[in-house]
Amino acid sequence: MSLSPSFLQQRLPLQDLLDLRAFADVCQSFSELYRVGLKVFDEAGNKLVDVKVGNADFCGYIWTKPSGREQCIATVGRVKQDAIGEDPSATAFQCFSGCRYMAQPILYEGDVMGRVVFGPFVPEDLVSLPASLLGISSDFDARLAEQYQTKIRRVPNGTAEKILKHFMDLVDVMVFTGHKNLIAAKLHIEAITLSYRELQEKNRALEDSYGKLKELDRLKSNFLATMSHELRTPLTSVIGYSEMMLEGLGGPLTAEQREYLGIIMEKGENLLQLITSILDISKIEAGRVRLVLSEVDPGQLMRDAVATILPLARKKGLKVSCEPGELPRIQADRDKVRQCLVNLASNAVKFTPAGGAITVTAQVLPPEMLAIHVTDTGIGVGEEHLPRLFDVFYQVDGSSTREYGGAGLGLAIVKSFVEAHGGSVHVRSEPSRGSTFSIHLPIQGTLVPAVTPVESPAPAPRG
Amino acid sequence: MVQFNAVTREISIKVVYYGPALSGKTTNMQALYQRIDAKVRGRLMTLDTKDDRTLFFDMMPVFFRTRAGVKVKLKLYTVPGQVMHESTRRIVLQGSDAVAFVADSRRSEAASTLAYWNNMLKNLEANGLDPRTLPIVIQMNKRDLEDARGDDEISDLTAAIRPPVIGAVAIRGEGVVETLYALVQRCFRSIDKQFGLETKWQISEREFLDKIFAHVDMRGFTPPRPEAPVR
Repeated sequence: MSLSPSFLQQRLPLQDLLDLRAFADVCQSFSELYRVGLKVFDEAGNKLVDVKVGNADFCGYIWTKPSGREQCIATVGRVKQDAIGEDPSATAFQCFSGCRYMAQPILYEGDVMGRVVFGPFVPEDLVSLPASLLGISSDFDARLAEQYQTKIRRVPNGTAEKILKHFMDLVDVMVFTGHKNLIAAKLHIEAITLSYRELQEKNRALEDSYGKLKELDRLKSNFLATMSHELRTPLTSVIGYSEMMLEGLGGPLTAEQREYLGIIMEKGENLLQLITSILDISKIEAGRVRLVLSEVDPGQLMRDAVATILPLARKKGLKVSCEPGELPRIQADRDKVRQCLVNLASNAVKFTPAGGAITVTAQVLPPEMLAIHVTDTGIGVGEEHLPRLFDVFYQVDGSSTREYGGAGLGLAIVKSFVEAHGGSVHVRSEPSRGSTFSIHLPIQGTLVPAVTPVESPAPAPRG
Repeated sequence: MVQFNAVTREISIKVVYYGPALSGKTTNMQALYQRIDAKVRGRLMTLDTKDDRTLFFDMMPVFFRTRAGVKVKLKLYTVPGQVMHESTRRIVLQGSDAVAFVADSRRSEAASTLAYWNNMLKNLEANGLDPRTLPIVIQMNKRDLEDARGDDEISDLTAAIRPPVIGAVAIRGEGVVETLYALVQRCFRSIDKQFGLETKWQISEREFLDKIFAHVDMRGFTPPRPEAPVR
């Protein structure tokens, strides 16, 4: 195991724990308050803060003498570097000029983080300038130096220690607060990074299973397409031979045989239609539908669709009306639009009880869309079902004992075909009052690349 | 994971107090803060953001210098107890050298205690720590409450599991020093065994414990007689 544990155990330099600019401001005002200079060094001896108060003239004058300059540099070096122990107490440094410095380590968690140097100040007990200063140069002007020295604050040693202790307490709180904020921020980031990583892993797993589901769905569509085709071939023969028998090609038939053959043919046609729908949806899902656009009279398509469902509607006792009005010709796939209208009209018949009415109307939606509405006075659809009405296999009544038959493919096919034209489907409905299904088609056929596959059914097929 | 710095001669050790929410981890830390002399410990840092409660942990450093001049820093942490702070818990647990599991002894808390125990084992393993070799001490806290498990149950528990079990009423400071003592002792032995504290760094178990516990208010607690380390 590596020896690089968490950031919580890291030891940080003083600069990382303090906001240096704000800290310098605090040092400045502190120095001004007590009228004594202040320096702060980090553990490596780098100067972080340097505030000078009152000593500029005095030290400046000494600095003009070569020997004074030399001794000054030596004093500053000692104050900065000499060992001062690891106890929270001050060490005094005597300057050859008679001034004094106090230095104390900055301790945090038992570690020395740096040191604070308080000074220079004039010790209370200094009576006159020391010989060590007077002797730095033959032309040293003691009177001038004394005059400059009065600008530096006189401090009793005990007071200096108290002031320094007070400052160390402030530094301690600032370092502690800085450390606390740093840990809080880092921990936040670490925690978020960790959560993010976990979420990413979960996302990856979800993407994987989504990919697998998509593949399964594609296999299902392929299977349906193949099976529908395989089912249709023998069924065509069943219907064809029944038709031939009905036409007497196999010899004369009794009335009963005719009736039975009629039923076989009718049910065969139903089955064929269902299989065709499944084939359509499989093609749509596999993205294999191609539109054959031509100039189409929408009024004619509406009349065709109504004619198709009229016998069934009459049998159920429904009133059917078709009011195309004056319509422009549109660019569309004739067979597909007709099938859409037949599907909508058949649904209207299926869900409208005896005595109801079905109306097929159309209108131009400026600038360039045509809307065809199929309105019924049937049982309607609850609002909660509306969003999923056009999904494949979706049935409002999904129970096995439901009243209305169907595979749940009609509306899904309508939606796919209309969207392939660059149009849209809409529904308005009120339970037990009726529904209006509308298809909006562009008058100038838009070229939609291939076809938009319909959404796959979210839950398992019901009903 | 204990850090050694051969240049500065420093050793840094991490000890974590783990357990369900409200089991008394912070109370332990506060009691220790009161009982350990400020000479050998730093401030108690509490990251407790009431508004969004994203963070919640405590940290207190304890430090000393050995006769051989080695600086030892022991950092005590608590993890956030709330279930939602799983990621923070895992981060704090990273690189632990010893763990105190603070449990609420009440029978009503048994299920949540067990869940957190398993959660801890999971997080230890996620951090590459082996619960079978990591020093762990269990503190059965809140022994003064009505529903608390009895002494017989505690001794049954002691007999059944490897980590030592220590009863406590942290709010009154009872058992808190005992827990730390047991923890630090095991921690020393574990690190000594792996890295040779005594042979390479000239720190004996006695000195290690004395350097800390000479500065701890030990009222009501007699440390066990020094014994040969057993495994």
